[in-house]
Amino acid sequence: MEGIFHNLGIGFVECFRLQDITLWGMTFSHVPFNIIMCLIGVLLGTLIGVLPGIGPVATIAMLLPVTFNLSPVAALIMLAGIYYGAQYGGSTTAILVNLPGESSSVVTCLDGYQMARQGRAGPALATAALGSFFAGCFSTLIVAMFAPPLAEVALKFGPAEYFSLMVLGLVSAVVLAHGSLVKAISMVILGLLLGLVGTDVNSGVLRFAFGISELADGIGFVTVAMGMFGICEIIGNLEQKEKREIFTSKVSHLYPTKEDWKRIWAPVLRGTLLGSALGILPGGGALLASFGAYTLEKKVSKYAHEFGKGAIEGVAAPESANNAGAQTSFIPLLTLGIPSNAVMALMIGAMMIQGIAPGPQVMTERPQLFWGMIASMWIGNLMLVVLNLPMIGMWIKLLTVPYRILYPSILLFMAVGVFSISNQPFDCFLMALFGLLGYVCAKLGCEPAPLILGFILGPLMEENLRRAMLLSRGDPFVFVSPSKPISLGFLIAAAILLVIIAFPALKKKREEAFAAEDT
Amino acid sequence: MRRLAAFLALTAAIPLAAAQSWPSRPLRLVIPYAAGGPVDVSGRLLAAKLQESLGQPVVPENKPGAGGNIGVDQVAKSAPDGYTLVMSAIATLAINPSLYGSLPYDPLKDLRHVTLLVQVPNVLIVRNDLPAKNVKELIALAKERPGKLDFGSGSTGSTGHLAGEMFKMMTGTYMVHIPYKGSAPAIADMMAGRIDLMFDNLASALPSIKAEKLRALATTTRKRSSFLPDLPTLDEAGLKGFDMTTWWGVSVAAKTPQPIVDRLSAEILKAMDAPDMKERLHNMGSDAPSVRTPDQFAAFAAAELKTYTELVRRSGAKAE
Amino acid sequence: MKIKSQQDFWAGLMFIAFGLFFVIVSQMHYQMGTAVRMGPGYFPTVLGGILALLGLIVLGGSLAEAGPDVPKFHFRPLIFLAASSLAFAYLLKPLGLMLASAALIFISAYGGHEFKFKEVAWLTVVLVISSVVVFVWGLALPFPVCPSFIESCPIR
Repeated sequence: MEGIFHNLGIGFVECFRLQDITLWGMTFSHVPFNIIMCLIGVLLGTLIGVLPGIGPVATIAMLLPVTFNLSPVAALIMLAGIYYGAQYGGSTTAILVNLPGESSSVVTCLDGYQMARQGRAGPALATAALGSFFAGCFSTLIVAMFAPPLAEVALKFGPAEYFSLMVLGLVSAVVLAHGSLVKAISMVILGLLLGLVGTDVNSGVLRFAFGISELADGIGFVTVAMGMFGICEIIGNLEQKEKREIFTSKVSHLYPTKEDWKRIWAPVLRGTLLGSALGILPGGGALLASFGAYTLEKKVSKYAHEFGKGAIEGVAAPESANNAGAQTSFIPLLTLGIPSNAVMALMIGAMMIQGIAPGPQVMTERPQLFWGMIASMWIGNLMLVVLNLPMIGMWIKLLTVPYRILYPSILLFMAVGVFSISNQPFDCFLMALFGLLGYVCAKLGCEPAPLILGFILGPLMEENLRRAMLLSRGDPFVFVSPSKPISLGFLIAAAILLVIIAFPALKKKREEAFAAEDT
Repeated sequence: MRRLAAFLALTAAIPLAAAQSWPSRPLRLVIPYAAGGPVDVSGRLLAAKLQESLGQPVVPENKPGAGGNIGVDQVAKSAPDGYTLVMSAIATLAINPSLYGSLPYDPLKDLRHVTLLVQVPNVLIVRNDLPAKNVKELIALAKERPGKLDFGSGSTGSTGHLAGEMFKMMTGTYMVHIPYKGSAPAIADMMAGRIDLMFDNLASALPSIKAEKLRALATTTRKRSSFLPDLPTLDEAGLKGFDMTTWWGVSVAAKTPQPIVDRLSAEILKAMDAPDMKERLHNMGSDAPSVRTPDQFAAFAAAELKTYTELVRRSGAKAE
Repeated sequence: MKIKSQQDFWAGLMFIAFGLFFVIVSQMHYQMGTAVRMGPGYFPTVLGGILALLGLIVLGGSLAEAGPDVPKFHFRPLIFLAASSLAFAYLLKPLGLMLASAALIFISAYGGHEFKFKEVAWLTVVLVISSVVVFVWGLALPFPVCPSFIESCPIR
């Protein structure tokens, strides 16, 4: 244990190390440069997280040339700050205007936005910030203490395990809906199918693109999310003929009440643990964290009926989970040199340009870099919560702006964000199309959240399914074979979950049948 | 008659005048891949450096899609005034034409190749507990177990995939190709023992080799790599003539005036030779390419196109 | 046979349509391969089939159980919002960020209930200035600010 404290000590010392910096021709001496870079990173991350459409990947890519002139520690601290700062910012838009900035914030929209509409944006934002902070601290400790063994566990996940995990994830996606079960499953499958548009990994064939070259890399998540969540919501709000304000002007407390605190501490804990566990899996683990946490909460909470209508647990659990996942997703990068997602791939690029080969030896050869980064994650989370909590008041004020002024602004930011994905008008066209689809689905009583999750998971599932089959030379029992206990375990859990979900519906049908018999 | 001569002289001078005033406004560097990959990173490095010497901003723009074809096509059809550049790569210039069946641009006729920026060898890497310590043993093992060995690659039609196909053809062995989305997950699976070998590019494989999580058996270039001087080349190991690299560089639209092309080439070479840029490119696994001038680049691209067209045809790889 | 639930009826039809679409396109263009070596058409065909089947179940349910009607479609906000996004996207390159944003704001505002010209005009000015500051100067997004026929405009 002393080893950990010793190492964390190295980290904190590195963060607060005073340096002499030459900037714009002037030399500033004794400046804690690394901390300043951390602050810049989280500020920037929050900003782009709040702006829908523009994500950490594009921002980090643009800042890469800047990092060349910085020391490796400073560069990575800043980039990491942007990444998890964006998670905080993304929750803000999810709660305020139903726009998920990142795939991990989709679930926060469900209850967070409803809370905002009921005048409870303050507690929602505070819960998100504090839950994220707790999760960040906890998972940073996990990274510090268990990074190497956890990385070994991550390596045990092959395509079969990923596939089974995603099946479990999909079944949980159904739980997200509160309407008809069959329709929810159908939306999930529709999402899966839409996710298949684009180039097929295994064969290189371009599917469902109909000659439109912009679809060669598939439909972007941001495009679908902006369309189905953003545009659809705005249209829905505009439909109401009465000039009723969307957000009640009666805003209750800015912070969670005592009752709220009692309700959120357990979900935060559960979300953190689940998020930390799933985040270490490269190749899609962190995505599952937030909606796995939501599903779990919905199933164990005694307020399950409130989920989807503004249950605070529906914000606390996913927010903690996605932040925990964001921190632990650094583990494969820092220990094995394998990126968990596009952001990590960029960081590898930044490291290699600095001449650092990412991999297990980084921990031993450059302890200041490794532990400095870990310490900075903790400090960054602290900065974020200190920054975000006071801003809640400002965000609340923003919501009191009349909707007729608010929605064109939201729409503009959405359009800019979507356009900037690949600088083509086509993505905005797709966004409008998905807005239409979302509108139609809403009219038909079908919910968008299961579709989006199917959309995210579909391509991953297929890729892993086919790869597992390739490697097993066509043996379909590879997923349930005893030699792959993890895969088997997930599939069993998925089956159990399916039964648990279906059971109340079946029970209801039986009750109705009996009631019909009696009359 | 004199007026005609004067007019002709004037029109001839216009491109020269344009070239002399070039660049008078910002340039666009189209990167036909998503942000973060090696082409993107090196492109941004180059843009930052060129900005200094040209005195005009060089704005990188990501235009991903279709393995790079979309971005390259856009530039091929853009105005040939020297203000739109593109990061062209082995994929878009040499492999995709045969892989995709039909391309909206002709890599030799619609583009003018300016400078080759990076040339990275691929490395034959195997998992640590594979019972083959060199190329000879690997070939023997593959012959012993036809269809039992799995080789991974970053995508169908990538240099890793095609290197594997070339290897199979030259050695008469049969191994199963397992495509991934990028080299990283493939390397992860190899470390875990789920696949057996890969022909990955040096930059992404080097850290794992140095950490001894995998074993490198040979490089795919004819010359040994300066990073792993003890590693034999496939050519030395018996596959005569094996010489594959992953490369990329800068191109512009075909009709761009020669003076601008020359000036661009000179500036890019200057940027590449600068010590800090040289070091950074070196850190990506690239030894300075021997192909320097636009004409050399054009000849090189044409030769690669011929090689890969043949290779893709014989291996049966198809993207559509 | 009476349609007891309008909503479920049309929802079922939608799912059947989507499901069949994916099955048909897959069968026409992409190889199925075998379960061992799945071709690009395998997964979409199977999923499309399941979707169509589920759609049939929903459809069947709509004939058996009572359910809500399909709420009224309001075309005005839908059309105007879609039009404003499209206007922005396709006008950005030729007309620059300022004019494209103005187009989006005006068109989308017109799609709402209350359209007060002066108010929208002021909103446009504020938003355009803040977009230029945040997106072009702050985040260095490669958007042209002025229309392409005006040469001397700061792009960065």
